Amino acid sequence: MPIVVNLDVVMARRKIGAGELAEKIGITPANLSILKNQKARAVRFSTLEDLCRVLDCQPGDILEYVPEERE
Amino acid sequence: MMIEKRWTGRHSLLLSQVMVWFFFILLVLCDVTGYWLVNWLCANVIGNRGLFGGMVLLGTMYLCSIPAYITLWDLHRLLRNMGREQVFVSQNVASLRRISWCCVLVALVCLVAAVVEWPSLGIVTLAAGFMALIVRVVKNVFDEAITMKDELDLTV
Repeated sequence: MPIVVNLDVVMARRKIGAGELAEKIGITPANLSILKNQKARAVRFSTLEDLCRVLDCQPGDILEYVPEERE
Repeated sequence: MMIEKRWTGRHSLLLSQVMVWFFFILLVLCDVTGYWLVNWLCANVIGNRGLFGGMVLLGTMYLCSIPAYITLWDLHRLLRNMGREQVFVSQNVASLRRISWCCVLVALVCLVAAVVEWPSLGIVTLAAGFMALIVRVVKNVFDEAITMKDELDLTV
């Protein structure tokens, strides 16, 4: 998928662990893991809002568009 | 209102499971007493058409009982999965697909019997064919629901 989730990078910058972040935004660690491991098909605006609030960042810091290479 | 609420869910599932077992026992009884049953039917209900007619009816009954056993087994599996709260899983879609094909098979067997000797079995052909269509549509709905569930499961 051409949308890359850079949650790891932002979390490392903010020095916050997965468990703590999951608790603060009110989702399960399993769901956060889906997001971190690029397996998510969609992100709710409410989740994105909570992530931006807790990590003090913009949606663009978490999500990035990388065009797929055509063969 | 309370009775209605209490009745839904587990009880309804249990009733369906009991019905599946009831039809299984009925099918076994039909298979065991097939010869006498056909004799009785020819003598008292649908009219005697000689040895060939009886043989065709008996053969139709036994041939149709094979897809009937498969259908009952798949219904049992479907209900068991639902009891385990595994509704939109690929195993259920496979079961529904098999049930649909079993209905088609019954329709074909009855069509042959209707053409050869028993025209009244044409009604069973139509009913089984229509049932196959209904089950197939339900299967398509389940298939689509699985895709939607997968999407939902991966929405954070």
